[in-house]
Amino acid sequence: MSTLTLRGVRKSFGLLEVLHNVDLELEDGGFLVLLGPSGCGKSTLLSIIAGLEPASGGDVLIGERVVNDVHPKDRNIAMVFQSYALYPTMTVERNMGFGLEMRGVPTAERDGKVLDAARLLQVEHLLARKPGQLSGGQRQRVAMGRAIVRDPELFLFDEPLSNLDAKLRVEMRTEIKRLHDRLGTTVVYVTHDQVEAMTLGTRVAVMREGVIQQLADPQTIYDRPANMFVAGFIGSPAMNFISGVLEAGPGGPAFVYEAGRLRLSLPEPAMPRGVAMGRPVILGTRPEHLTLGSGSAARLSGTIDVVEPTGPDTMVVAMIGGQPVTARLPPRVALRPGEPVELAVDTSALNFFDPESGERL
Amino acid sequence: MSRTFLPAPYGPPRTVWDRINPVRLIGELSETRYWMYLLLLPSALLITAVVLYPTLYGMQMSFREMRLNRPDLGTGFVGLRHYERMLSDPVFWVSLRNTAVWVTFSIVIEFVVGLIAALALNRNLPGTKVLAVLILLPYFLPNVVAGHMWALMLDPRLGVINDLLVRIGLLEGYKAWFADPGTAMAAAIVVEAWHSFPFFTLLLLAGLKGIPTDLYKAADIDGAGPFAQLRLITLPMLRTIIAAAVILRVIGLVNSPDLLLILTSGGPGRSTQVLSLYAFQTAYRDFNFGYAGALSVVMFVFLMVFAWAYIRITKVNQE
Repeated sequence: MSTLTLRGVRKSFGLLEVLHNVDLELEDGGFLVLLGPSGCGKSTLLSIIAGLEPASGGDVLIGERVVNDVHPKDRNIAMVFQSYALYPTMTVERNMGFGLEMRGVPTAERDGKVLDAARLLQVEHLLARKPGQLSGGQRQRVAMGRAIVRDPELFLFDEPLSNLDAKLRVEMRTEIKRLHDRLGTTVVYVTHDQVEAMTLGTRVAVMREGVIQQLADPQTIYDRPANMFVAGFIGSPAMNFISGVLEAGPGGPAFVYEAGRLRLSLPEPAMPRGVAMGRPVILGTRPEHLTLGSGSAARLSGTIDVVEPTGPDTMVVAMIGGQPVTARLPPRVALRPGEPVELAVDTSALNFFDPESGERL
Repeated sequence: MSRTFLPAPYGPPRTVWDRINPVRLIGELSETRYWMYLLLLPSALLITAVVLYPTLYGMQMSFREMRLNRPDLGTGFVGLRHYERMLSDPVFWVSLRNTAVWVTFSIVIEFVVGLIAALALNRNLPGTKVLAVLILLPYFLPNVVAGHMWALMLDPRLGVINDLLVRIGLLEGYKAWFADPGTAMAAAIVVEAWHSFPFFTLLLLAGLKGIPTDLYKAADIDGAGPFAQLRLITLPMLRTIIAAAVILRVIGLVNSPDLLLILTSGGPGRSTQVLSLYAFQTAYRDFNFGYAGALSVVMFVFLMVFAWAYIRITKVNQE
């Protein structure tokens, strides 16, 4: 059974259309991440799911129920905001129990649920405090506690970790994952952070300019991006793109680049299906699929531009066919800028894109 | 000895001119801890001249005889005689009661109307900017102008309000609002509230703009209706601003006799006589500056006590 269904959801502000026909389904207990750069419409979509903003068209279903005209409080959802949105004049305890208080749940039952959630999130000792007396991480926990107490059908998270410092963000990310595994509630989570998307999501919707570019599980999005936008947005460093032409040569098919002067031999399984020879394409390869080595048949030749050691890896940027290509190499490689380099390509992980549309071939 | 490359005012003095050079001396003084007192001195002098001295002078006047129409009595020290007289002065007690009525009702009406206007203007609907200017207009009018305008509108023979009320059948005949002890105070309060509610609108609107909208979204999801949101989010978040606005407005209402002076001069009888007006008339009609000074000191003490108690009760200083 799916917990959340969107059918042709549109939103426009005046003439500006910020969401175009969004369709998606999220299974019970799933964790959907809406990922995209700022202004892509992901937060607007979340507001529409929450009922905080009306859609200009289409249907929102929570469970089996169309909730287009249902007030947020009656949608059986809970939301965690980027700003936490804790009521500053109330104690942590009252903040967490406020949703139940407004629904007329008896005090004893309310206190029990608040205490359970506070224990789960380790904020028991903070119950008597006001939000102003808490640190960022504690506020974040309280905000999640407020959502958990309600035991909703659907959790909505709007960039919940963006206001935390880097170390705390990683900790809370793990915490959210643990909570989701434990509670099994369905989640919709908005973020612009691809690492959060990859680590948390069971499904990731990559959005751009109000359109879902790809909706799939994180590994598929990473391995087989639907287009160049998704390919470039996910992964750090980003996927390398090299433009060239596919040709059938004497030694088998090859990808020819740098105005035909260099060629990358491709085994048959690596070739995109149904693509005519002689066609211009863009080849996409991830930095970790490049290794040092001149022995391989499939290799790229170029000149080293920059060497960036990061500790576990060393990122080497080489100019290949006039385009920068980053390789994730083992640490302590003895390479210097200006030297020629041969990079062997893992041909089982290649992606080809149409240069005009950017779509995957 | 090491050579210094610092410019003139710094480094050890080397010549006689160094010891008397005013630029150098000021430079040296600015390095001492007396410098901050010197910088505060001009404003301290100004405040002493225009605030502290007149206040203290007024206070000492309340312990003296000072009747301009009875120079034969002199200006000698009379101790607490004015204060004793006040205790048995029926006009003082009537004025005190009227002041309480005048201030309480004006503040309540101004706050409620001001809050409603601020909430309406905060909705950012089309046209609210023009509406905001219109709503604030009364506050831009000087009290004197507003007073005369309303005196004319409420005039028993020419007044447009009488005319309207008779036409729609609420009133049988024209009424002299300010001539009837039963309606004079109420009419004056309406004029005052009309004139000053924008003060609350302005301050509360500024406060409302500072409340994060996410709080209302969270409250929507939590199931708090508009009234619960007003009671549990908006008003608590505005507490400091409300406290400041109320204190400022109470001080204004207690101290300013101008509107009542124009509308009623305290009449009919003593029905709209308030303390500020009584003190003003005692000084400038009866020329009894000693007694007027004592009345002012009492108002001053009342305001101090009020502000202290109000801040204690609302606990605004504890956030």
